[in-house]
Amino acid sequence: MDCQCCQKKPARIRICDVLENAVTEQANICPDCWIFVKRYMFDPARPLAPTLQVLAEVRGLIDNIPGKALATVPPPGEITPVEPAQPVPVCPECGMTLAEFKHKGRFGCARDYEVFAGHLDPLLERIHDVTPPRHKGRRPAHAPAGDALVQRSRDLAGLRQQLQAAVAEENYELAAKLRDQIQTLERAPAPGGAA
Amino acid sequence: MNDLSGFDCLAHPLGEWLKGTGPESDVVISTRVRLARNVSGFPFTARADARQRSEVLRLATEALRSVHLEKSVVTLDLQQVAEMDRDILVERHLISRELAGAEGPRGVTFGRGEMLSIMVNEEDHLRLQWIKSGFDPDRAFSALRRVDAAMETALPIAFSPLYGYLTACPTNVGTGMRVSVMVHLPALTLMEHVDKVFKAAQRMNHAVRGLYGEGTRAFGDMYQLSNQATLGRSEEEIVAGIKAIVPQVLEYERRMRGELYTEKREFVEDKVLRSLALLRNARRLSVQEMMSHLSLVRLGVDLKIVTDVSMDTLNRLFILGQPSHLQREAHAVLNPTEREARRAELVRAKLATATN
Ligand SMILES: [Zn+2]
Ligand SMILES: [Zn+2]
Repeated sequence: MDCQCCQKKPARIRICDVLENAVTEQANICPDCWIFVKRYMFDPARPLAPTLQVLAEVRGLIDNIPGKALATVPPPGEITPVEPAQPVPVCPECGMTLAEFKHKGRFGCARDYEVFAGHLDPLLERIHDVTPPRHKGRRPAHAPAGDALVQRSRDLAGLRQQLQAAVAEENYELAAKLRDQIQTLERAPAPGGAA
Repeated sequence: MNDLSGFDCLAHPLGEWLKGTGPESDVVISTRVRLARNVSGFPFTARADARQRSEVLRLATEALRSVHLEKSVVTLDLQQVAEMDRDILVERHLISRELAGAEGPRGVTFGRGEMLSIMVNEEDHLRLQWIKSGFDPDRAFSALRRVDAAMETALPIAFSPLYGYLTACPTNVGTGMRVSVMVHLPALTLMEHVDKVFKAAQRMNHAVRGLYGEGTRAFGDMYQLSNQATLGRSEEEIVAGIKAIVPQVLEYERRMRGELYTEKREFVEDKVLRSLALLRNARRLSVQEMMSHLSLVRLGVDLKIVTDVSMDTLNRLFILGQPSHLQREAHAVLNPTEREARRAELVRAKLATATN
């Protein structure tokens, strides 16, 4: 899904307006627009406007920067979904059934993740607000990670920090440039290939 | 497993994280990083029988011993710890309420400085946490990561390349990591902006809870801000996420403090000094009353309205005035009125002699 703010980059962050524990409105934005958006939301001088209104204001701000024309980015390749397991999955180790898991909301053992794999993605997507719901991050020592991947994420983190500083200083021209750089780096093929 | 007779929970000094010396300590009390891990080959705690749980406890304890975490750690078999002492561990944030109230083989290991704590047989087999004073997620994480890596050499940990570290609850899977920042927001509360800030934080996928975790009310204007998602983000990204949101809250709180001081000076001085006078003179104090007045005095210390009380003293009173600490100090189970009298006495004593 595309960012509802810049309408160009893939959305990674969901902002949910909540009223008495119920979500009244949702917006999906990319991490870079988020940097602009949160500055708006935490501004003591402004009342907390509905998120869609904030997005419109931020968009207006960015669009007014001269010479801004971002290329449209195709969404990154999807990871093939896991094959559904047998029709009525039961864990051979702990006896957990899919129905019991859905009722309790807790797994019985580590094996359940494998047994119920075909049914987990929608749930994990909802909880963690990420598509596809796959692990990213460190792994036990016996499963080494690709160093190039780590380096790229560091580079991106550095650029994002600069972007944040630029927004804080209200240097929107520099901010827009940094956002393009982040986009380019993200579009490059993943080094080594993620798990 | 261990001889408990030699251990006195109360004699153990309070956690170093309470010193109030870390980064941004005017607003942030502490930063806690928690990792959830399970030992592979065993069902998760809720589905494990007593024999399996004691086997997990034995394996974890042996592993902890073999990796030499800190110079000295305390390991407690919680089945042998009295209820009141378990509550003291809860009040000190060393174990969860759930672990204190659970049954069966379970334990905790913590360092002398009370920064590191490892719970065994909580919802997950292992819950590792590191608490730092002030806002310091990087160092809390790197310290805990060392412990985690050491534990992995000694124990087989349940992990999947697809879903990461496997946990009993799907809300913890992936990194198994939760960063919680305890913040003190008296000015936002006084100026009635606190709801707005929380709604904004909530929109950005960060949860806000009370002082003692899920479902507890915010006492003394203390709140915990933490990441919601654990899957699909690296540990560094989770830390970056919390670092993106906490400074906004801090800046907001400081701006409100500044505004109180410059534009509502008499109002805030009146509030703070009344609270201090009350704490120095009351003969009975409920927990809520103590915490709400301590909160205002803490604001007063930051605004230099109060100059003869240290942050350290105030931070400690927040813990020492909790019910189990009071009763343990009195060596008795006290009824609510007796507790209120004891609490008032403690607060008067600590605040009378000023700094420390
Ligand atoms: Zn965007
Ligand atoms: Zn199972």
